[in-house]
Amino acid sequence: MTLTHLNARGEAHMVDVADKQETRREATASGRIRMRPETLALLAEGGLPKGDVLATARIAGIQAAKRTHELIPLCHALALSKVTVDFELDEIESCVDVTATCRLNGRTGVEMEALTAVSVACLTLYDMCKAVDKAMTIDAVQLEAKRGGRSGDFSRDTAPGLSIPTTPDAASAPTQAVDTKTTVSKADSEPSIRVRFLAELRERLGHESLTLPVSALAEADIQGVKRALRDHQEQYAMLDEPRILIACNQTLASDDTRVEPGDEVAFFPPVTGG
Amino acid sequence: MAWEVRVQESPFDVGVEQARWFGNRHDIGAVVSFTGLVRDFNERPDVQALTLEHFPGMTEKALTDIARAAGERWQLEGVGIIHRIGRLAPGDAIVLVSAASAHRRDAFEACDFVMDYLKTRAPFWKKEHTASGDYWVSERQSDRNDADRWERQ
Repeated sequence: MTLTHLNARGEAHMVDVADKQETRREATASGRIRMRPETLALLAEGGLPKGDVLATARIAGIQAAKRTHELIPLCHALALSKVTVDFELDEIESCVDVTATCRLNGRTGVEMEALTAVSVACLTLYDMCKAVDKAMTIDAVQLEAKRGGRSGDFSRDTAPGLSIPTTPDAASAPTQAVDTKTTVSKADSEPSIRVRFLAELRERLGHESLTLPVSALAEADIQGVKRALRDHQEQYAMLDEPRILIACNQTLASDDTRVEPGDEVAFFPPVTGG
Repeated sequence: MAWEVRVQESPFDVGVEQARWFGNRHDIGAVVSFTGLVRDFNERPDVQALTLEHFPGMTEKALTDIARAAGERWQLEGVGIIHRIGRLAPGDAIVLVSAASAHRRDAFEACDFVMDYLKTRAPFWKKEHTASGDYWVSERQSDRNDADRWERQ
């Protein structure tokens, strides 16, 4: 396996695709933006100050797919034959799920176009809703499936899984990307706890958040959350340092605080404001 | 007691905020305001800038709880708290706490109390950028001792 965007000297180069045969290429990517339930309700009613949020985000996603080559340095400019961007409002998880599919007959894959469409649609949703909710987070931007091309077909559903399916939510988790091929849809349909890491702790762990299925917990409390994480990866042992503070649903908590599906558990170092 | 807490990137003007919070009240005899500034030395010399991070939602809640606790403890007419986030340079104002009361003692003590609790209970984290690298600022025992004073009284 080699990185095709690096030449023999390790320098970035654009892959010459002139001699590749044209085949039908298709890719689907997904992502989601989490928001407060009140924001989601306003979005559903069309009550947000900037107008029709979903229509605007859809156009933004389609435009972005067409302009991917202007954003990602070594991407080719492609004449896409089809771009769709779809939204699903999830009231239980309080988020909007975004899916984008791109297709063309050509010589290069279209996964970057689908991922860009999802990213920009999510960013546009943020822009359209930020007047009422600045704490929204964009999560789990990922390739769901691709078809065609030499590297073959890919489907997230058939990718190898983990012993416990923690799902780092953020695209800000490159160090985790390798060992997290579990499906988000799986994590979404299962009752789960959202775990966040803040400030220094986020930097030491290399990622900001993850989703932990309740089924991975031996005990439904903070201690159980810590243990499940530590069993998954040794680096989470640092959550047991006595200086680390814990909040459950934004209220300070301790090891024996109970957790329920849908709860948000945050770990952070001692505070240093003022 | 009226209170307002704000977490913002933009700078603030103490005079403007104080007038907005307490300007049209004639029952207030004292306003004590504390402004915290970014120093150019801390754990290391030559601090060039610092970046402040918070926990959206929880930070505002913690500040509100602190303002309310002050209101329960002293005779206050109002408390205003502004804390800035993002990148700040030495000399920049980082935090403003104003306490207003009929008589000065309540305002003085409440302002002191709010700052002590803010430093030990409100989720903010500082990362300092210096000539010799970036680091997260450690908590200080002296801040904890300061906050503990109020528990003993």
